[in-house]
Amino acid sequence: MAWTFVQKLFGAKGSKGEAKNRLQVVLVYDRLGLSADQMDALRKDIMETISRHISIDPEGVKIDFQHEHSLPEVVINAPVRRRAAS
Amino acid sequence: MGGRAIVVTSGKGGVGKTTATANLGLGLAREDRKVVMIDGDIGLRNLDLIMGLENRIVYHLLDVVRGRCQVRQALIKDKRFPNLSLLPASQVDQKEDISPEQMRDLTAQLKEDFDFVLIDCPAGIEQGFRNAIAGANEAILITTPEVSPVRDADRVIGLLQQSIGDPRLIINRMNPEMVKKEQMLNQSDVLEILAVPLLGIVPEDEEVVIAGNSGAPVVLNERSRSGQAYRRIVQRILGEDVPIPELNGNVGFIQRLGKLFFGR
Ligand SMILES: Nc1ncnc2c1ncn2[C@@H]1O[C@H](COP(=O)(O)OP(=O)(O)OP(=O)(O)O)[C@@H](O)[C@H]1O
Ligand SMILES: [Mg+2]
Repeated sequence: MAWTFVQKLFGAKGSKGEAKNRLQVVLVYDRLGLSADQMDALRKDIMETISRHISIDPEGVKIDFQHEHSLPEVVINAPVRRRAAS
Repeated sequence: MGGRAIVVTSGKGGVGKTTATANLGLGLAREDRKVVMIDGDIGLRNLDLIMGLENRIVYHLLDVVRGRCQVRQALIKDKRFPNLSLLPASQVDQKEDISPEQMRDLTAQLKEDFDFVLIDCPAGIEQGFRNAIAGANEAILITTPEVSPVRDADRVIGLLQQSIGDPRLIINRMNPEMVKKEQMLNQSDVLEILAVPLLGIVPEDEEVVIAGNSGAPVVLNERSRSGQAYRRIVQRILGEDVPIPELNGNVGFIQRLGKLFFGR
């Protein structure tokens, strides 16, 4: 963060970092080559698996691919439901 | 057996395949190798024009495949190097008018007579691509250091790995000034992303455009920087261990400060 700021200040940092990062992310998707059907199946399996243990909002499950720390990774977000007061 | 069949591919169009094929063909011929270049871009032929051989075409690739003439009748000999020939594409036919099997047979036949068969691949990953790679045992992949060409190059690497294996990469139109300002992906960025062996870097050079005007590719121009880059690539194709200089401009003050304090 601080370093990005210093670079901005001196106008040294161009846009190539952004290019590289966006490429790395899009290539995670491209290389997996998942179809819409396969993505749906993955989402469904994840929903079912988590729901067996904790109560989540099935509509809110999000699957993202990203490239962090030089590694491709899949990130799954599932909003946990508050237990209803009984 | 016989010669080496090398296809020049890219995925994304307009990144320099035809220019590279012409320069590598001439460069290898300069080194006394017997070379034939096949224009694989049926319907959009250009290699003849870039080579300055457009006025001498009688027969083309599809005439050979259809048995209208012998291969040697269709080959155009380069006046500059008698050991260099071009097999032109047809301008009126389509990529679908020839099959991968026919290309494989033709390439095999040419390999018996030539040290190098260079195949200029059309843009895209459809039939024209499948035809061009069918007879090749090696692939050269051209990209420019921009997001779309690199993405398409990655797709082509995946396809090549299923048949020929890893291609060797040429990064074309590198602009050292932009790399210096971090406005352009540099050599290590592209290599980190694509993870294939590097064959060479060709700088952005207006001489390439001038060479296109006259049909005398830059590899013949002793003073041109891109010509020098192609001559070095030719040496590497011939198995010589020629170092690849990084075209990074001079590393600026802020970058050095960053390395010192932040390690990047
Ligand atoms: N190193 C370079 N410096 C400057 N211009 C270049 C360089 N390399 C290629 N060009 C220019 O880029 C353009 C496209 O080159 P070329 O026709 O070789 O690409 P291509 O990949 O064969 O295109 P296509 O996919 O349409 O077959 C040409 O106008 C050429 O002059
Ligand atoms: Mg071309």
